[in-house]
Amino acid sequence: MTSIADSQHTFIDDDLSADLAAAALDLARRFHDGATLWVISPQWEPHAHHVAVEFVHPVIMGKRALPSVALVEPDPVAQARVACQPGDLLMAVASATEPAVVDAMRRAPAWGALTLWIGSGPRPPAGAAHHVLWIDSDDPMVPATGRFVLMYHLLWELTHVCFEHPGLLKPAECTDEVCVTCSDEGRLGEVVLEPADVTSLALVRTADGEEWIDVSILGDVSTNDMVLVHAGAAITRVESEVAR
Amino acid sequence: MTNAENTGFLYPFIESEETDAKSLLDDLAASARGKAAESARLQRESLAEYDDAVTAAGIQLAERFCRGGRLYTFGNGGSSTDAATLATLFSRPARGRPVAAWSLAADEAVVTALGNDVGFELIFKRQIIAHARDRDVAIALSTSGNSEDLMTAIAEAKRRGLLTVGFSGHDGGRMAVAEDLDFCFTVHSQSIHRIQESHAMLGYRLWSVAQEHMVRSRNGVHAS
Repeated sequence: MTSIADSQHTFIDDDLSADLAAAALDLARRFHDGATLWVISPQWEPHAHHVAVEFVHPVIMGKRALPSVALVEPDPVAQARVACQPGDLLMAVASATEPAVVDAMRRAPAWGALTLWIGSGPRPPAGAAHHVLWIDSDDPMVPATGRFVLMYHLLWELTHVCFEHPGLLKPAECTDEVCVTCSDEGRLGEVVLEPADVTSLALVRTADGEEWIDVSILGDVSTNDMVLVHAGAAITRVESEVAR
Repeated sequence: MTNAENTGFLYPFIESEETDAKSLLDDLAASARGKAAESARLQRESLAEYDDAVTAAGIQLAERFCRGGRLYTFGNGGSSTDAATLATLFSRPARGRPVAAWSLAADEAVVTALGNDVGFELIFKRQIIAHARDRDVAIALSTSGNSEDLMTAIAEAKRRGLLTVGFSGHDGGRMAVAEDLDFCFTVHSQSIHRIQESHAMLGYRLWSVAQEHMVRSRNGVHAS
């Protein structure tokens, strides 16, 4: 218990402070473009509520209120799926093994959401979220010691600093001709409506919105299946280790 | 984009806007490290200042839990979420012995019914009247120490024989001088964020002491 107090003076090291800075700039850019920040924390719902109230009702007078909502229903994936729109932000405060969060983070790119993951203990695999803000401690009591609170407090404070730099809030321009984001290559999609029959198209959502997609190579597809979309067709199914 | 180019002459300052995020990111990272260091310093200082009092309070909590007492936590806004985290720490700890504890802001039906019918300043007091037995504990969290809904609930809790604990900030406000509080832990800072981070650490320490004492009180010392 003393170890938690003692270790905190090195709590935000160079790497984590750089991660926080990059995350704050992305948050500010997305908010600037009209994003809503959705927050899930299946094991520790109060943290989700704290993040939301932090952004909605700032403790410093004069700071702008930003849209943020805690999603605390029993099925956070279903709640985030319907809440997220392209350009939004999805934050999780959870351990790396929380099944609902693993699933939500995997699906978020198809919803067009930028993801942030705050937690402690073993880290999520590389690339599991756009921004992983992690406390490398195996102590299971970390979530109750104020360290997560510090993390999202800092994120809020830094985000508001970014608003003072309007020139940096424009999205990074995409000029490369074969840019992955702009090309039709392997975009992650989630099935919204299954095809009515074998010759029909399926309605699939990707980061760019909804589109009718040929899924005939895949055979049976069901609502909420994850697929890879290329040139108007679903070319492969993306299986999940936790989804089923 | 095209639009911005065509009308660029109207907004000459756009040309002078910064476009390289590097120095901002460096500033943000340095700021994060500075604030985190301040948070840690304040936590250590608060733990040191209230070492004896938190120990005494934790032992009294344990004694009440052993008699079947329950814990009610409450606060407003961010502090209500910290109150909920603290209640969860007692009722659903990752290790140790769980005890009955809940946040009085958790039930929106109760909170909105009371707020609408009898007034916001009574949302916690009326719940204390409904729930409290003399072996219970009430913990109030406020960064100002002045919230009316907390003060009325604390007074009611004291009247009913509960152990009353307050977490306050700044100069302690009304909580610091309230005779109805058995213990008041004021975190001396002007920053609401830093105060809340220290409240969490003090609450964690309070839980640790109570846990230690609960395993000890009947069976002698347990290896844990």
